[in-house]
Amino acid sequence: EIPGAPGAPLDVQCLDANKDYVIVSWKQPAVDGGNPILGYFIDRCEVGTTHWTQCNETPVKFARFPVTGLIEGRSYIFRVRAVNRAGVSLPSRVSEAVAALDPADRARLRSHPSAPWTGQIIVTEEEPAEGVIPGPPTDLQVIEATKNYVVLSWKPPGQRGHEGIMYFVEKCIAGTEDWQRVNTEIPVKSPRFAVFDLSEGKSYCFRVRCCNSAGIGEPSEATEATVVDDKLDIPKPPGR
Amino acid sequence: DTWAPAPNGTPRAKVFAVSAGKHAKFRCYVTGKPKPEIIWQKDGKVVAPGRRHLVYEDREGYFILKVLYCRPRDQGLYVCTASNTAGQTLSAVQLQVKEHRLRF
Repeated sequence: EIPGAPGAPLDVQCLDANKDYVIVSWKQPAVDGGNPILGYFIDRCEVGTTHWTQCNETPVKFARFPVTGLIEGRSYIFRVRAVNRAGVSLPSRVSEAVAALDPADRARLRSHPSAPWTGQIIVTEEEPAEGVIPGPPTDLQVIEATKNYVVLSWKPPGQRGHEGIMYFVEKCIAGTEDWQRVNTEIPVKSPRFAVFDLSEGKSYCFRVRCCNSAGIGEPSEATEATVVDDKLDIPKPPGR
Repeated sequence: DTWAPAPNGTPRAKVFAVSAGKHAKFRCYVTGKPKPEIIWQKDGKVVAPGRRHLVYEDREGYFILKVLYCRPRDQGLYVCTASNTAGQTLSAVQLQVKEHRLRF
């Protein structure tokens, strides 16, 4: 570290990456060492190597620099050094790795489809478990609430009999015990449900029951009362 | 192992036997990207989920067809077909339902 030289630049990021260049940006160092910063040097290193190359011959003033001369498909990390009259700073922390690829190629690589494969089907005989009705679901929460709908999420019951499980959601005006099934016809398969058709300004509690071929189980614990209005921030349950 | 000949094009299917009145659980592991759509068929007809037929994906990612309280007419060729934008494939098994006979 040179006395009077600036501190290391901060927060090096890659703003835009494609096969021809990567735009690197950074924030100026917290300390300039008592002398104004004259500019910056940008260094690159191919991921998997330890060889750093300086990208610009003369310091750049603007805190953003397009790095060219990259090999298509290879990944790089970047770091930046600041310069003033006293000398050059220590290098910044390195950026996240970025690949020299066009965005479309990157997306294609990420979501490259593969044809399905199915394994041998294994058949097992099971003893009918008469009357094993699933227990109540747990951790029922209101995860979103607006004046148009309320979204609930919960966890499947812990004990046996979770196979082929489906759910019935019930609502109730807070303060009453008048529980009404929301999805009267079709049980839901996923542990998440959006309740529509709620009256604005009213306060509701919700609970969920599991069902399987054996029958319908006991309800979960009811949620706290949720007021149906424009409020979007749900109070976080304790311990989260 | 017992193998049964299967009709046109489907691979030879392994035979599994269950006792009448018991549940038959068909378990098939499927890979592919994007996630394939699964169809279960019995003798060429799509198995619709219902009171005796449960269709689901278990916690380990296996696709399951469960036939509850098997009857003799549940015997047949069961096929699991997986398809996505990249292609389609299938696996097949033959189910036998053994009837209990009281002997004196």
